[in-house]
Amino acid sequence: MPDLTEKKDAGQIPSPREGAAAAAVAKPEKARSLGSDAWHDLRRRPIFVISALLILLLVVIAIAPGLFTSVDPRAGDLRAHYLGKPDYTNFFQADWFGYDIQGRSIYARVIYGARASVVVGICVTVGVTIVGGLTGMIAGYFGGWVDTIISRLTDVFFGIPLLLGSLVILNAFTSRTVWSVVFALVALGWTQMTRVMRGSVITIKQADFVTAAKALGAGTGRIMFRHILPNAIAPVIVVATIALGGYIALEATLSWLGIGLQDPTISWGIDISSAQKSIRTAPFALFFPAGMLSLTVLAFIMLGDAVRDALDPKLR
Amino acid sequence: MRGASQAKWVVAAVAVALAATACGSGGSSDNSAGSNDSSAVDPNGVFSYQSGEPQRPLQPANAMENQGGRIVKQLFMGLVDYDPATGALRNQVADKIETTDAKHYTVTLKSGWTFHDGTPVTSKSFVDSWNWSANPANNQINSDWFSDIAGYDAVHPEKGDPTAKEMSGLKVVDETHFTIDLTSPVSYFTYKLGYSSFYPLPEGFFKDPAGYGEKPVGNGPYKFKSWEHNKAITLEAYDKYQGTNKAKNGGIIFRNYTAGEAAYKDLMSDTLDVLDQVDPTDLPKYKDDLGKRAVDQPQGAIQNISFALYNQEWNAPGKEKVRQGLSMAIDRETITKTVLNGNRQPADAFVAPGVMGYKAGTCGDACKFDPAKAKQLIQDGGGVPGNKITILYNSDGGHKEWVDAVCNSIRQNTGVECLGDPKPDFKTSRDLVTKKQVPSMMRTGWVQDYPLNANFLRDVYGTGAAANDAGYSSPEFDKLTKEADAATSVEKTAELYQQAEAVLAKDMPAIPLWYYKTSSGYSKNVQNVKFDSFGNPVYTDVEVKKK
Repeated sequence: MPDLTEKKDAGQIPSPREGAAAAAVAKPEKARSLGSDAWHDLRRRPIFVISALLILLLVVIAIAPGLFTSVDPRAGDLRAHYLGKPDYTNFFQADWFGYDIQGRSIYARVIYGARASVVVGICVTVGVTIVGGLTGMIAGYFGGWVDTIISRLTDVFFGIPLLLGSLVILNAFTSRTVWSVVFALVALGWTQMTRVMRGSVITIKQADFVTAAKALGAGTGRIMFRHILPNAIAPVIVVATIALGGYIALEATLSWLGIGLQDPTISWGIDISSAQKSIRTAPFALFFPAGMLSLTVLAFIMLGDAVRDALDPKLR
Repeated sequence: MRGASQAKWVVAAVAVALAATACGSGGSSDNSAGSNDSSAVDPNGVFSYQSGEPQRPLQPANAMENQGGRIVKQLFMGLVDYDPATGALRNQVADKIETTDAKHYTVTLKSGWTFHDGTPVTSKSFVDSWNWSANPANNQINSDWFSDIAGYDAVHPEKGDPTAKEMSGLKVVDETHFTIDLTSPVSYFTYKLGYSSFYPLPEGFFKDPAGYGEKPVGNGPYKFKSWEHNKAITLEAYDKYQGTNKAKNGGIIFRNYTAGEAAYKDLMSDTLDVLDQVDPTDLPKYKDDLGKRAVDQPQGAIQNISFALYNQEWNAPGKEKVRQGLSMAIDRETITKTVLNGNRQPADAFVAPGVMGYKAGTCGDACKFDPAKAKQLIQDGGGVPGNKITILYNSDGGHKEWVDAVCNSIRQNTGVECLGDPKPDFKTSRDLVTKKQVPSMMRTGWVQDYPLNANFLRDVYGTGAAANDAGYSSPEFDKLTKEADAATSVEKTAELYQQAEAVLAKDMPAIPLWYYKTSSGYSKNVQNVKFDSFGNPVYTDVEVKKK
């Protein structure tokens, strides 16, 4: 059975992680925290490297779209460029991806559209992490009636479908910007984080070092933020990273439905919606914003997956 | 007339005989769709039409929306109707309508007209029908169409209880004569008489209006056969019809469709015969798909964007220059050709072509694209308030593309920031418009009620008119329309209304953008499909080919 022996041999070769662990044991002064251990693990994973580079590029595009194109994304010339065909060899120029139904450069719009998506994604994630993290920690740490109230409140919000709820909230705004979309998604999306944080805090609360800290007379705030938070935050970060891609997709969905972002904000969702009517004559007008959206969502979901693998010891 | 119709029957008989002998050869139905092959026409053939479920019972003064309206128009025939090709008035049940002062009318009916239940059409059929429809107790949506007639106020007061059941202005003289007295002269009143509110009703109707609303009995070219709710309404040709437009086919099936795309697919597979309107998704390709069977015709309807003149900053003296400038910054020609797929015709007046009294170019230079002059005019008029405009529209009607294009055109040519302001549905946007809560501009449109320029002018721009969404009020315009209404002939009225239209071009309360066109098509089973200026097909002329 040559296969078996080979496998056995392979098993005997220390994997990089085990090697690192062995090294850590060998040199105790280099002991690593959960965070640095995760980082060490992450940067060796190709999925993480690819997705991180993609996200870095997206963030740069979002901050400085002018670096990538000098074309005004709102300027349209119907006479010359109505649904103009793309010239795929003309890299980084106005006609690279063709022109949309208003004669505007699709390349410029795809570049400028990144900002809304990235801002909505990151702000919503930060928002739900703060709101959900705080409520979850309070519920988990204090328990009793505080936990009961927060948990029931979470259940109530959890029962509202995210898309339906945001439609209702956004309908109340007469003019909608990135911030109204962020507000709507944070107002409805925090419950997931609360649940994860609460569960995590309840487990950590019973750990010996918490009892020790209590015995030493540490205050509630100190225990919560210095002892429990750093140890309980990992699962929240994992869930938040994966959810980020979802929030970007949701923003595009809302904009597509005509209830999310509005002109003059440039959003992939709006462009997808206006391109679908010309799908038979100009499929490229739909393909590029939709492709960028998929790529962005994919990058964040891949990042989330990699982070989860690194942070969750159970999966090792 | 009798001779003519007999000759027609002979031709039809020969045609049938020829068709019968030709049957054996087979494959003759593969003729190209555009050619009119009279030998293959089946006079009893039934065709289907894309329609929707009527909102209200099928009663003449109750059919404001298109789904019920187009069916009522086939079931009934009034004193007069409009020639589908020219919009000219032609007598149907009326033999003649006489007046000397545009205030007192004497109507003479032709004899021999019958309702589908066999009872004769008399003066009483008209007078009773109009009185019944005007009565607020009967809750007819178009009852205000009778408001020109003397005594309408007593039957249908704006407030309080009615003091009369019958309008004093209507008097039956005998079986075939009756008189109409109006409260003030309306020279184009005979034009209004072609509208569906003025159809006659049979005696049986008044005993059971609700039942007749479900199973209407009329006097039109088609009689009612069946109504399967939310599925289809079937009409069949009425063989004793006396009008000039006798049906050339055996009947119509109005089939319900909720999605235009589905109807288009059925048309492509020849399971639906005539399309109402090509849906926006299929517009770019329908002419290629259908070839000669595609229909592309102008319609009596105009698309405008109106200014909120009830906001003082838009109504200040001198701002008319700004309004003209904005109009000149819009490249109508290019937008209609590109974004609207050539499905609209750039407007050069406030009245649609094909309408009596339409005069090309009344809007003048103000409707011509001239970016340099546009900038200059806006500057001369003191600039756009806040250097920003928003155009309110309903996003459920396929308006987004052209509103965005108009805004782009304005922004790029004048530097004025322009944004579309979509509201989720027609009702929401209409509510804001009627409550006069629009900040700067709004989408408005007008579809003719009757093909006369007065309908596009007085009913839209007259002070206090129901459809005056801009809140426009000009003493000069009102004076000219009043004079026009008092004229004694329709021709004179139309001419005077053209002068009133010139005032609009100067004041620019709304920017005329383009005229609608009928974009439709028909299957390989039918031929001779033409559309009138209302955007409805001439049902009676449709010829069904022999299978």
